[in-house]
Amino acid sequence: MSLLDYAYWITQFLLALGVLCAVYRVYKGPSVLDRVISVDVILIIVGSVMLVEMAYSGSTDYILFVVVTAVIGFLGAVAIARYVAVREPDSEGRVRRAEAEARAITGEPASEPETPRSPWGTGAQPHGGTLIEDESTSWFTALARSGFVPSRSKDRSATTDSETTEERRDQGSDNSSEPGGAK
Amino acid sequence: MTLDTVLDGTAALFLVVGGLMSLAAGIGLVRFPDLHSRMHAATKPQVLGLLMLVLAAAIMWRSWSWVAIALLAWGLMILTAPVSAHVVGRAGYRTKHMRADLLADDELATAVDRVSRHGGVRREVKDD
Repeated sequence: MSLLDYAYWITQFLLALGVLCAVYRVYKGPSVLDRVISVDVILIIVGSVMLVEMAYSGSTDYILFVVVTAVIGFLGAVAIARYVAVREPDSEGRVRRAEAEARAITGEPASEPETPRSPWGTGAQPHGGTLIEDESTSWFTALARSGFVPSRSKDRSATTDSETTEERRDQGSDNSSEPGGAK
Repeated sequence: MTLDTVLDGTAALFLVVGGLMSLAAGIGLVRFPDLHSRMHAATKPQVLGLLMLVLAAAIMWRSWSWVAIALLAWGLMILTAPVSAHVVGRAGYRTKHMRADLLADDELATAVDRVSRHGGVRREVKDD
């Protein structure tokens, strides 16, 4: 065996060990984000195995896979990271607040009669259904239901200012993310 | 010692270093305590490991046209790896998939607190 043969087998062994560690993290990972980055690592290592094989045999058969992996490999992580559940001790209060606010919005069906009754309990629920609604998407749903057109720059700046609740209520139901703002 | 021997030795070294990067990513994924430190470990084979293996393959091919294609693959990985890292890191921070006691400094905390005082507002830092 030449030097390159040793390097080939050592490299494949190291890559196999890395894949095994990543698979263990996919199995063990406490959250979906850990699994996402582990799956990304597995994908990269599969491409690496193909590169090593190509370097060893001198062929260029799998280079297209490596290029395509580099182009679209991040899409899975982006798609999954969009729908991650909030995991924190006080998330129950916030979810309950979002539910109450959703009920306040659905209390007036004259504005949008075709909207469903309770969008918070239905639909796809990751994490075994324990999640009510993702916090990063609930604002969007509440905003869409209120009919607010988020193109005015003054409202965007108003949310960052530390102003009182009465002033925000004066803006009417356009920003329904405030509890009771739609009433 | 011919040129081929030198090139083969260099390729062998690059191969083993690239394999070590993947092994380091695996060990970091298993042993690191929270999401963001695991992300730090997971980017090792994406950038340096892939560069090493691409260079080894390019050396073994002895062809400049395939060198360009291999470096194109690596450049595309360089372009797209920060996208997924950014999105996953932001989602991990926003949904508290992290251990705040391990952070040396949390510069986002004050801004997130100020924004999230308004209940229901998206917990994302807006520009002042």
